[in-house]
Amino acid sequence: MSGSAPASWSRPAEDQLYQPEMAEIVATRSLTDSDRLFEIQLPGGKELGQTAGQFVQVSLFGFGEAPISVCSSPVRTDSFELCVRKVGGLTAALHSLREGDKVGIRGPYGNGFPLDCMEKMDCLVVAGGIGLAPLRSVIQTILARRDVYGRMIVLYGTRSPNDILFADEIAEWQEDPASQILVTVDHPTEGWEGNVGVVTTLFPKVEIDPANTVVVALVGPPVMYRSVLSDLTEIGVPDQQIFFSLERRMECGVGKCGHCQIDDRCVCVDGPVFSATDLKHMHESI
Amino acid sequence: MTGTAFLTESGLSDWLVRLARQTRLMAPTKRGRRSFAFAWVDDPREVAIDYVRTILPPKQAFLPAREKLLDFRLRPVQESTPAIEDEPFVLFGIHPCDLAAVGQLDWAMTSRHSVPDPHYIARRKAGAIIGVECQPDEYCFCTSVGTSGTREGADLFLTPAKGGFLAEVLTPRGEELLQAAPSVRDASPEERAAGEGWADEKQKRCTCRLVGEMAEWPDRLEARYESEVWDRTAGRCYSCGTCTNVCPTCFCFDVWDEVNIGLTAGTRQRRYDSCQLQDFALVAGPHNFRGERTDRVRHRWLRKFVYLMREYGKPFCVGCGRCTTACTADISLTDVLNAALAETEESAS
Repeated sequence: MSGSAPASWSRPAEDQLYQPEMAEIVATRSLTDSDRLFEIQLPGGKELGQTAGQFVQVSLFGFGEAPISVCSSPVRTDSFELCVRKVGGLTAALHSLREGDKVGIRGPYGNGFPLDCMEKMDCLVVAGGIGLAPLRSVIQTILARRDVYGRMIVLYGTRSPNDILFADEIAEWQEDPASQILVTVDHPTEGWEGNVGVVTTLFPKVEIDPANTVVVALVGPPVMYRSVLSDLTEIGVPDQQIFFSLERRMECGVGKCGHCQIDDRCVCVDGPVFSATDLKHMHESI
Repeated sequence: MTGTAFLTESGLSDWLVRLARQTRLMAPTKRGRRSFAFAWVDDPREVAIDYVRTILPPKQAFLPAREKLLDFRLRPVQESTPAIEDEPFVLFGIHPCDLAAVGQLDWAMTSRHSVPDPHYIARRKAGAIIGVECQPDEYCFCTSVGTSGTREGADLFLTPAKGGFLAEVLTPRGEELLQAAPSVRDASPEERAAGEGWADEKQKRCTCRLVGEMAEWPDRLEARYESEVWDRTAGRCYSCGTCTNVCPTCFCFDVWDEVNIGLTAGTRQRRYDSCQLQDFALVAGPHNFRGERTDRVRHRWLRKFVYLMREYGKPFCVGCGRCTTACTADISLTDVLNAALAETEESAS
């Protein structure tokens, strides 16, 4: 006998909403003292089906679950990569895992970067610290489909030369004739000959064609987002061509738990990527 | 199938005895001198149908304070199974405001973002709801948020009348439930007419009112984003989270794992969380996106009367008065809201 719950609610197919799939770590290597890269395969070689900038909920039973952005290009479909910084209990436990170990994966979730808007345009990638990891998926996509996009400029700021992620790959990216990669550090060590200062100090060092540039950025604490946005505005890049990926606490990844809410938006569902036009109407965003 | 029947007062207690034998029964029970709580009832004599408000809302029937999402094993292999609770039950005696809250939770847990929550849906489908008409007190403001006459969500709705209850049958499940009741007859036209007087009576009794046109609240409140009202309220708030715990429409949760002592298996669970607690928006770094109490206080009001209201179309508050009566710092939801709305009145004039 039907009750007041709508009859249209279907249930069984969705029982797995919070149930992760048990995926296998097929390769892992240390990137810095606190960052580790994991290559992961879903059971049966299933595709994750993500777009650049989406994230997954990574589970270790007994430790919990955390949202982590996919850092490899969606062009590669047999596996995907996650870059994990050791910051707490779950991530420390993840760091102890090796080839053959299992992790739970739910997703992909979120909207991802606007690769369509970037076609034929110059792409300015602004990364702060571990923000380079999700942006690596964009960089790899651009390089894999080189003729679809214009120039690529990557500006990457991190704490010290020892904290530089994907150093070997950065050298490869620099070989692309239509790309320019600049790295800056806050605290130089002996022998560092590159730029010193926050990532915005790199803006004057590159030539940006504001009308024909799409910016994708993930730069750390809100104060950095504000200064990147104000510099880009000064350079003349229109708000609708600037896209920021935001970080928030998430428990569910599917718009239920309330933790990632910014004003009337859920970062996990409506984001994590927002245009600067959107951000200006979101009080708590940056 | 709809219709109005009459159930005598003695018939009600016999009916509850029969229902409790057939299925699990959750109903309001008396706890202290003036406090009531929804609880699983074995002995229907415990049911207190004439309560004003319970401390915790009936949402616990569909979204429990703690709920298992998964059972998992750690060895020999890691695997998990979803924990779905769908044992039938009857939720008896919920007021119109709480019925409206069930409708809001239905939206939040099923339609919002087009993501249906299987755990919520299973419990919700397993539960039949019998609503009961109420007499508001000085903390109720259901008439200001348009929930005082809610019937939707109920399978059956009872209105006290001389010598018994008018019973409105709202769904086939309600019809079936009423068939188990002894001494049911058709309501007379006089009895039906007496039931209609309740709306006016509630309007009179709800002395607590919200100011202004409801449809204008989101824009008016958003314009008061920088108001001192939030600072003043934060100056009194302890960030204890009681207001959200007792709220029938709050649905935020936290997820955590519990492992058995042999470290071989465990459960993943969710529990109510509160946007008023200090670490609600804390991320690694550490960075806290709502580390200031003022930000958390403002978020609570704006979430209910701006953000979710714009998405849902109505305030995400049903006027039950629980948060105001339970607040450890005597903060009144309606006073704060009215103060913010009054400022917009002043700035407009």
